[in-house]
Amino acid sequence: MQAKKLNNGAIEGVLNEFLKDEQHLVLGFEKDKNGVSHRIFKKSLDQYSFLNPLFSTNGALFLRRLFAKGMQIVLLLRPCEIRAYVELVKLTQIEREDIIAVSVDCLGTVSTKEKIDEIPTEAGQLDAYMKETDKMRWACKVCREPRGVVGDAGIRIDKNGAFWATSYTEKGEGFLSMIEGNLEEAPKEMLISEKEKLPKFQTNMDDFEKDFSKCIMCMNCRDMCPVCYCIDCVFNGDEYLPKGDALLNKVFRTGSTNMPQGKELFHLIRMYHVSQTCVGCGACEEACPQGIPLTKYFKGTSERLQGMFAYMSGRNFDEAIPYLTFLEDELKDVED
Amino acid sequence: MEEKTNKNPEIIGFACSFCTFKASEMAGSLRMKYPDGVKLVQVPCSSRVDPAFVIKAILEGADGAFVAGCHPGDCHFIKGNYYTRRKIAALKEMFDAFSMKDKLKLFWVSAAEARRFVEKVTGMYDEIKEKKNAGKKA
Repeated sequence: MQAKKLNNGAIEGVLNEFLKDEQHLVLGFEKDKNGVSHRIFKKSLDQYSFLNPLFSTNGALFLRRLFAKGMQIVLLLRPCEIRAYVELVKLTQIEREDIIAVSVDCLGTVSTKEKIDEIPTEAGQLDAYMKETDKMRWACKVCREPRGVVGDAGIRIDKNGAFWATSYTEKGEGFLSMIEGNLEEAPKEMLISEKEKLPKFQTNMDDFEKDFSKCIMCMNCRDMCPVCYCIDCVFNGDEYLPKGDALLNKVFRTGSTNMPQGKELFHLIRMYHVSQTCVGCGACEEACPQGIPLTKYFKGTSERLQGMFAYMSGRNFDEAIPYLTFLEDELKDVED
Repeated sequence: MEEKTNKNPEIIGFACSFCTFKASEMAGSLRMKYPDGVKLVQVPCSSRVDPAFVIKAILEGADGAFVAGCHPGDCHFIKGNYYTRRKIAALKEMFDAFSMKDKLKLFWVSAAEARRFVEKVTGMYDEIKEKKNAGKKA
């Protein structure tokens, strides 16, 4: 892999130079006394942090319906966020032209629901912290692609904690050319290596109903999902899930129902709708006030369904989403 | 849904108006019989069926659901049923993950295949009826 080694403060210098233009923006992480959070930087970087060990939302959520005409935006986000961005580009929710997406190696994250006083943001220390404590989110433990190998360019961390920048597309090369130094051969062994795949997900309706019985239908999981993008969701209004008198009518027609009604329906439909685009970031579980293990189900089914078409959400810009394309000669055995 | 007393299953079928629905009409005019529990919903093309419809049908009390359309390559809209095939294949995989694979079927029935339509539908109905009554033996 050809990459440029980043010296201490090199990337901050580059980005500050980039931000001197009025029309340029950077979306990245900011570290302050309250922790680390997303921030859009204008004019200059302030308290910039490469790594964000706290997960609150998926950053691709902020990019929906972003048609940055004539502006230049650099994204420096986690791989799961860049993957969600790639999926949203494919779904024509974001115009790709003026955005350079850079994925940064992720060492795992801790939920913002956890009580933590101090968390390191330096690569070596953070790696040690994650290994010592058992606070890493489940979604991160089973993450399919924590490496910065998606998007236009990537920033990798080697075993000594040094950063390497590399490009995957033409736009990424543009980003790389802003960085001083020459391309050299990066070490083969990086701090984060490829992850193993989870075993095939299998459950049954009883377990599913038990896990989701706590659901209060606040629909936070839908609102915080980066790839659940429909403006007119079928669950808006009371067509799919009738309310009031319409609900009573339904009960008289179909029998008793547990309340709030339709939670299994809601989650199963959403699970199918995001099945090919789910990146397994676990933002739904973060948003859930009831602590339902949503990631287990959503990630499990989506990996199974993506596996059918040898697809992986957000892997690259050119693969079409399986439901939006077809081959004439395939799936001969689906018919019953 | 437990208090349902009738042991005859109800099956919702989403039938393409150019093929399967025509086949069902033809079955009617040929005086062929298929079970009363099979309720057809006419859709303009099998790819009109959002898997959400199927999930809703099943979670709101149907014992089974099927999606039926023209044979691949014969779609009135040229390529609609290729999309159906992918979508329903994925939905079946999802149902498999939730251990309720036998509730969903996908059929290809052309407008001329009235007999095939009746056979497929009756076969599915009997299969589901057998399972439903086996569970309620006591």
